[in-house]
Amino acid sequence: MELNVQNLRVSINKKEIVKDVSLRVKNKQFVGIIGANGCGKSTMLKSIYKSLKPQGGSVFLDNIDLLNTPPKKVSQKMSVVGQFNEISFDLTVFQMVMLGRTPHKKLLDSDTEEDIDIVHRAIGQTNLTEYMDRSYLTLSGGEKQRVILARAIAQQPSFLVLDEPTNHLDIRYQLEVLHCVKNLDIGVLAALHDLQMAAEYCDYIYAMKKGKIIAHGKPNELFTEELVADLYDVKCKIYENPVSNNLSFVYQI
Amino acid sequence: MFLIKNKQLFEIKGIYFTAVVSLLAAIIFSLCFSASVGQADVPLKQTFNILINKITGGAFGSLENIPKAFVNIVWQVRIPRILFAVFIGTALAVSGAVMQAIVQNPLADPYILGISSGSSLGATFAILIGFGGGTIFSQFGLTFSAFLGAVLASLAVLLLSSVGGRMTSMKLVLSGSVISALFSSFSSIIVYFSNNAEGMKNVTFWAMGSLASSGWSKVPVLALVVSVVTVFFLFQHRILNTMLLGDEAATTLGIPLSKYRRFYMLLTSLLTGVVVAYSGMIGFIGLIIPHIVRGFIGSDHKRMLPMTALIGSLFLIWADVLSRIIVENVELPIGIITSIIGAPMFIYIIVKKGYNFGG
Repeated sequence: MELNVQNLRVSINKKEIVKDVSLRVKNKQFVGIIGANGCGKSTMLKSIYKSLKPQGGSVFLDNIDLLNTPPKKVSQKMSVVGQFNEISFDLTVFQMVMLGRTPHKKLLDSDTEEDIDIVHRAIGQTNLTEYMDRSYLTLSGGEKQRVILARAIAQQPSFLVLDEPTNHLDIRYQLEVLHCVKNLDIGVLAALHDLQMAAEYCDYIYAMKKGKIIAHGKPNELFTEELVADLYDVKCKIYENPVSNNLSFVYQI
Repeated sequence: MFLIKNKQLFEIKGIYFTAVVSLLAAIIFSLCFSASVGQADVPLKQTFNILINKITGGAFGSLENIPKAFVNIVWQVRIPRILFAVFIGTALAVSGAVMQAIVQNPLADPYILGISSGSSLGATFAILIGFGGGTIFSQFGLTFSAFLGAVLASLAVLLLSSVGGRMTSMKLVLSGSVISALFSSFSSIIVYFSNNAEGMKNVTFWAMGSLASSGWSKVPVLALVVSVVTVFFLFQHRILNTMLLGDEAATTLGIPLSKYRRFYMLLTSLLTGVVVAYSGMIGFIGLIIPHIVRGFIGSDHKRMLPMTALIGSLFLIWADVLSRIIVENVELPIGIITSIIGAPMFIYIIVKKGYNFGG
């Protein structure tokens, strides 16, 4: 599925956070958004997944007008791994992931064998099998994040939105999560803070500053030392890593 | 692996089913027992006979050899009262559980959104000032006035929490406190300026909660409202579960929470309003029963809500029994009993290791 965002404008308390942003995720592409804290990445994603109401613009997933479609319809096609997932009540990992089946359920439907299988597979894909009966609140930040990813996978989406999915994760799990997402083989729009990973996993990247897209392109073409300096206000050296042949970054204040 | 897991699920289902059936049996037994004890003890066997006889319209069970007074005590006085306990216990426990989900706060209870102060104001008004003889309100009196107060308070909370955009759980709780304070101060004004010692005593009694006003004439309304709303919520378990995740996650799972919140709040207000109007303020059930149930079987509303309803009614039946027998020839207000039992139980839950407000 193809995501098309046109001229999106979002204000919070009369302050314009996202200013006229347009972007596109082509079929099954992994697209990253990079930018400093507070540049409007999350706000933009929130308005794409209907948590915020934008002041203007349009968001289309193929021919579904996301901004004017009921949440239930949207959630059958698109799932989201957000940034904050604290809850005050406890559920087991299994129950938490099972909630991912909600969009596909009518009021009186019960959970079928098929649902249970889907949930088990999602839990397996995120390496959580041994945590199945653990309670969510006892998990570490990284484990919680993987549970949320499993829930998003259980929604069986054709498009996935990720807001800094590798926050709280240590190195192995960062790689695992991105690998797992990449293997889903669906369209992905992800806000990422680790440039090296963005360069490695993304097919296309948009760079955002103060609510505007200031550059976009394939990782190799997009990343310049000037751009990174401008985005994050740091000195930066970029070189091709001789071990992985990927882009590597060195930062200095 | 999957097979093993599914089998486990099946076994858990089996245990759950057994628990529900045992609870139902316990409620029926408690009902018979409760109908036998009190200031006049009726033998259990005779109580059973009276019940069977009355329920089957005389087809089974014989009333011979049973004093007429016993039949009246059991059927006219105690049974309506016990049915009150059954329905009110269910209503308070269920609305407590739902309210906790609505505001995503395990410390919420059915009264958190100002319903208690609203109905208190209504009751205080009816007892100390009254509506005057000529108006249509005077026919309904205390019950109607308390109900009206409860509904007014919750509408005010709804309105206040919707000001300036989306209704959030934080706004709900804050609006609830504000409206509570406002309505309580109105009640205090009425109490302060009234010179009616007897009336003030009545207000205090009313606030303690009691099943003494029960009667067959009131059972149908209570039963209807409680059954309909409870059954409705039993079918809402998916939405209630997503509510626990908060607004954003719920939206991404296709559930627009603010809409459901408003609707559920209206329903719980109706439920609690009717209960409070009939029985005054019976505390602690709405807070503690959902917690006890979560402690045993977790927060999944599909399992938790039916259990909450059953244990709520069982708890109130026994609280009522205690209120009648604990002090000889005196009937304690049931609200005192529920708090006296409830508070230590709650302390135990908090102290008990591993309870994380959810299981």
